[in-house]
Amino acid sequence: MTDRRQFLKQSVLSASAMGLTPGLFANASGPNAPKRFIFIHKGNGLLPHTLAPSSLSAQDQEKEKRKEAFEINLADHDLPEWMGALNELKDNMTILQGLSGKMCTTGHHTWQSSLGVYKANQRLSTLKWATVDFELAKLFPSPLEHIELACFPDTGGNGRGNINGIEKGFSARGPQQPNYAFGSPKIAMAELFKSVAEDEGGKIEFELERRMLEFAAGSQSELGKNLRGIEKSKVQNYADSIESIRERNRKLDGMADVIRKHVPQLDDKYFAEDISTIDRQIGHTEILLSALISGMTNVVAFTADELGTTYTGISDLENERVNLHDVGHGKPAGSFKAEEVREKVRSHHMSVLDTIVTRLKSVPEESGTMFDSTMIFYFPDNGETHHSHGTEWPFIVLAGDNVKINTSGKYIRLPKYGEEGHKTLGNWYTTVLNAYGNPIEHYGDFDMGLTKFGIDQAGSIKQFLG
Amino acid sequence: MIERFNISLFYAVAFAFASPVFASEPAANNAEVMMSNYCYSCHDGDSEKGDIRLDNLADLSLTNRLELLNKVKEQTYLKEMPPKKEKNQPSNEERRQLYAGVSAELDKHDASTLEEKLTYHGYGNYVDHELLFSGKVEAKPYTPARRWLVSPAIFEERVRDVFRLEGRERNINLYGVTNPFVLPERSGIRDFANATLDGGHLLSMLSNAKWIAGKQTFAARNNNADKNKIVYPNPKDKWYPAKTPEAFGLIISKESAPTESEMIAAIRAQFDCVLRREPTEAELKKYLGLTKEGIEVAGNTTGLQQMLVTVLLESEFLYRVEFGEGDPDQDGRQKLSPREASYAISYSLGDRNPDALLTQAAAEGRLETKADYRREVNRLFEDKEYYKGKIDASLEGKHVRSLVMSHPKLARFFRDFFGYPAALRVFKDSPRSDGYYRNPCRSGTQTPGRLISEADRIIGWYLEKDENVFENILTTEQFFVYHDRDAEAGGKIIDEWKVFFEKLKDTNWRTDPEKVYAENEEYIKSQKNINLRSNNRWKVSNELRTYMTFFDEYFGRGITPFTTVPWAHGYTFHHSTFYSLPPTPSIGRYYEVNNKNFKGYDEMNFWDYPVEQPFKIANRKGILTHPAWLVAHSQNTATDPVKRGLWIREKLLAGHVPDVPITVDAQVPEDPPHTLRERLESVTSKKECWKCHERMNPLGNAFEMFDDFGRFRVEESLEHPDNFIAKTTRHNGADLYKTKPVNSTGALNGTGDPALDGEVEDALEMIDRLAKSDRARQSIIRHAFRFYMGRNEMLSDSQTLIDADRAYLESSGSFKAIVVSFLTSDSFMYRKAIH
Repeated sequence: MTDRRQFLKQSVLSASAMGLTPGLFANASGPNAPKRFIFIHKGNGLLPHTLAPSSLSAQDQEKEKRKEAFEINLADHDLPEWMGALNELKDNMTILQGLSGKMCTTGHHTWQSSLGVYKANQRLSTLKWATVDFELAKLFPSPLEHIELACFPDTGGNGRGNINGIEKGFSARGPQQPNYAFGSPKIAMAELFKSVAEDEGGKIEFELERRMLEFAAGSQSELGKNLRGIEKSKVQNYADSIESIRERNRKLDGMADVIRKHVPQLDDKYFAEDISTIDRQIGHTEILLSALISGMTNVVAFTADELGTTYTGISDLENERVNLHDVGHGKPAGSFKAEEVREKVRSHHMSVLDTIVTRLKSVPEESGTMFDSTMIFYFPDNGETHHSHGTEWPFIVLAGDNVKINTSGKYIRLPKYGEEGHKTLGNWYTTVLNAYGNPIEHYGDFDMGLTKFGIDQAGSIKQFLG
Repeated sequence: MIERFNISLFYAVAFAFASPVFASEPAANNAEVMMSNYCYSCHDGDSEKGDIRLDNLADLSLTNRLELLNKVKEQTYLKEMPPKKEKNQPSNEERRQLYAGVSAELDKHDASTLEEKLTYHGYGNYVDHELLFSGKVEAKPYTPARRWLVSPAIFEERVRDVFRLEGRERNINLYGVTNPFVLPERSGIRDFANATLDGGHLLSMLSNAKWIAGKQTFAARNNNADKNKIVYPNPKDKWYPAKTPEAFGLIISKESAPTESEMIAAIRAQFDCVLRREPTEAELKKYLGLTKEGIEVAGNTTGLQQMLVTVLLESEFLYRVEFGEGDPDQDGRQKLSPREASYAISYSLGDRNPDALLTQAAAEGRLETKADYRREVNRLFEDKEYYKGKIDASLEGKHVRSLVMSHPKLARFFRDFFGYPAALRVFKDSPRSDGYYRNPCRSGTQTPGRLISEADRIIGWYLEKDENVFENILTTEQFFVYHDRDAEAGGKIIDEWKVFFEKLKDTNWRTDPEKVYAENEEYIKSQKNINLRSNNRWKVSNELRTYMTFFDEYFGRGITPFTTVPWAHGYTFHHSTFYSLPPTPSIGRYYEVNNKNFKGYDEMNFWDYPVEQPFKIANRKGILTHPAWLVAHSQNTATDPVKRGLWIREKLLAGHVPDVPITVDAQVPEDPPHTLRERLESVTSKKECWKCHERMNPLGNAFEMFDDFGRFRVEESLEHPDNFIAKTTRHNGADLYKTKPVNSTGALNGTGDPALDGEVEDALEMIDRLAKSDRARQSIIRHAFRFYMGRNEMLSDSQTLIDADRAYLESSGSFKAIVVSFLTSDSFMYRKAIH
């Protein structure tokens, strides 16, 4: 019997040699290419001072220190060393500093807060509305709507039972509706690409699901036949929902040739139960790219790590199980100081971003490439540091030439917390949503603490809308 | 700072028709006559009041015309037009004719919206109250035949029933189940039978069903292996039911394909587990086909699981089905089948499926008559165990336990009705409360959770007594605050602490606690409620000083402390100030005493804790003055007289306020020298606003005697930068602003009783009058009807409501008597198919 692993072995390429041949992409979009959004967040805070270009003028350094508003062109400056992987992407890059997020849960763990802009915690009742990634997914529909990948935490106050399984993620589909994320490349592969499964087990599973949905849709439709009005809709809505999943599966079936061409080419180590965190990130990146390039989804949320993620595979620390919480408290790992470990972690994240951009740039779309219509957000899940208060929430944004936010190529520091012109995470997401057609007046909760400064928190950041 | 209010402008609509609008004579003629008599004077081309012109209806597009006609129909139904001040009013018969004429035209286009609107939450009060309780309605009560989506609580119980769990095992954490249902967050009845299943429910159910089916077969798949040797797919999810149903186990254990009869047995077993009934012949045939195919494709275990999952996805698992059976009576009504009745009764009294005796009664034909229903309802009320449970498990966190009652559903009506659990949703700026208000966070529901729990205790207390329940809950001066153990247990602790303090107070416990400990070691270690038994002498000596400092601050001043020490792990009692009681020590207050640099405390007057509760609190009267209710009906940084007034209007006066026009987004102006009430009045006193606001503001203004944290006040802090006086000196404290005296006078109108209507000094006087009002009592009963029937009342429910009102009065105010009356009413027992 051929199983998935054997199938993959047949066309194995090591991760370092991975790459999807652009010519295989058969689903080049029409005149209105969909916009794509990738949200990558990390735990343990993102220290704002580490994002400042090393070549700032003395005057700007002083402003940076005092957290006063200023703006410079990245082209005129050197990126911090750990961002080296992105040196060639400065024109497409924004470093955005000075947003606050005190309306979010802050501190160690924040659950859906950084994407939903509310105080989320483990209780589902705290999920007030769909997180921003799901709002964007509604604007750019796709067969899967949205996928979420995660290097789940296994320790701390937010640990998942099975970091290799499908567990509650960090996005929310709607009020009190958590999303579910794939914890390992293996499970993501099995679930997302089951429609083109080559191994017997995968084929059987897909076939059984197909029959079950067909049965359930028929059975519920039958029930509604002799009903009218609201009573009919009580069962017909359900039948229609089942039908819509079947329709989604039919679409995926219809895309089978394309999906098959873009099945991630990963070697065995990426499917191992004891996969390292670094390899997990690499594997998830390949899944993410395949899902986007094949057109299965236009929006991906990716938990690169969380405070409770036990890190393995960090360069020069391959034999260490690094506890991010300890690092947050300044403890060294191996022979490296905490700050150096943080830098290693971030550096690897940058290489992930570089992989994504490079790959998307290699896929032609319309007169350009897929990257042209893509925005990638890299940010902390809890704000400015390990025990965060949400006074700062730094972002690195990578965006193609056709995106609707006018910030590329800049280092932007916004007015600090409490000062006139200060902006919040809610303002930032409102800007993105407004730019792409969601007219929402304000996305996210307000920060009651800001009201005493007389700051009107509602709305977008107008200057970013171009 | 800008405060946003939805200020209701009056949606002026009147009636006028030109002949071509109506096709159906003679309704058109009658309608036309009335238009010319009562409407044209205000709504023709010349006057066009409220921007409504009706003399050109025939010139409008069909869509616009029908939209306007729907408004006319609604206004006619509600008797909102002509305005009451107009002398020229149509008679009831003329109104009826106008209503019939408009309805006929709308029906012709299948475009009438009022009927559907009347089924929604918020429109129950549209049914005329006087008529409903007049005794003149002859129509027979019934409930439309329906499916009713299970509540979140019932869903969880249904899942537990799939596994046949009993006793303590029912408390297991359903790790892989996401409850697909959420009740809307609002003040008012939340669980109505007009919700439908949708895609979100399905997505949750797809993963739920796989988890449940996996657990159902887990024991058999692991062949009853040693629990410690099993490899669990998820190490944090090790629970599984001890036994797999026999019919499933047989198929799983078979080497060869199962026989047809084995598969049928499995299908029957799953129908019994999930739907609690036998499959029909047609269902059996369909499911047999599915199971056979599944097993052929994927083998015994996987094929079987596919069948189990599919049954779990049946919409019937997620609905309460109430269609009635048998021959319709002369009014077209069918009685609930005994099986349906057993579920309807059980879900009215709790969240669980019918117990064995109720199921047996249904099976044996002993659930047919009102007497049968009454017998079973009374029996289940006597049973203190079957439905026993927490009022609201979601409140629970560290050291917070929800109140447990034998019939928590009774209390849940009052929670929905009063809406105080919504306090969890109102985020407050903690420094404005001097740092005492803690918003809900990861570690628990904090201040609002505590306040809600304490409001629950009042409800539970009076439900337990079951006498004059409404009046007591509305007017009680008795409250529970911090009360985490009963008077006897609390008294023992305080007595022990007092004796301890008296014995050691004159020793050198401040300067030489180690010596004091050594000299009294045996005695100290013998104390049950003083935890000083560690072998670490240095540690216990310090702790002795901590205890004594604490006792000195209380017993030394002749007052009693709360019965849990403030340095207890997870201590979260900080909310006494929201009852306008003195504060209690913060969790960190006594950490300092063992610091060598400790120089003493800021003087603070702490609350003299009453061990025996409930106890009287000044300036409070009933649940509407409970901080939980006041916070729930407040804004983030201010009170909300409009919301509070609307609540009284709708919930206690069975009144209504027209829908807020979508064009209205009025803001209360910033006007630093003025109170919120004054600023609100400056915008709502305009003629077009006052038409609606006169129904709310005079009621809500009376509650201005409490601030937005629920604290009693006589002065309002004018929190505006222009009124700033001084920064706080307290950590996390409130800055000082100018103040202005609070005006909490108000006016009660709408009780229908001239002796009760009129101006009031404050909320306390208003509450006293409301508690004496027939209208208020009947209004609560109307809302209880909605809770138990899952729908708004119709005129045809008149007799049911009158009977419930009588039952309450004749039983000296028993709420259970109302429930029994409802559950034996025609409204509850009969269904009618609506086409």
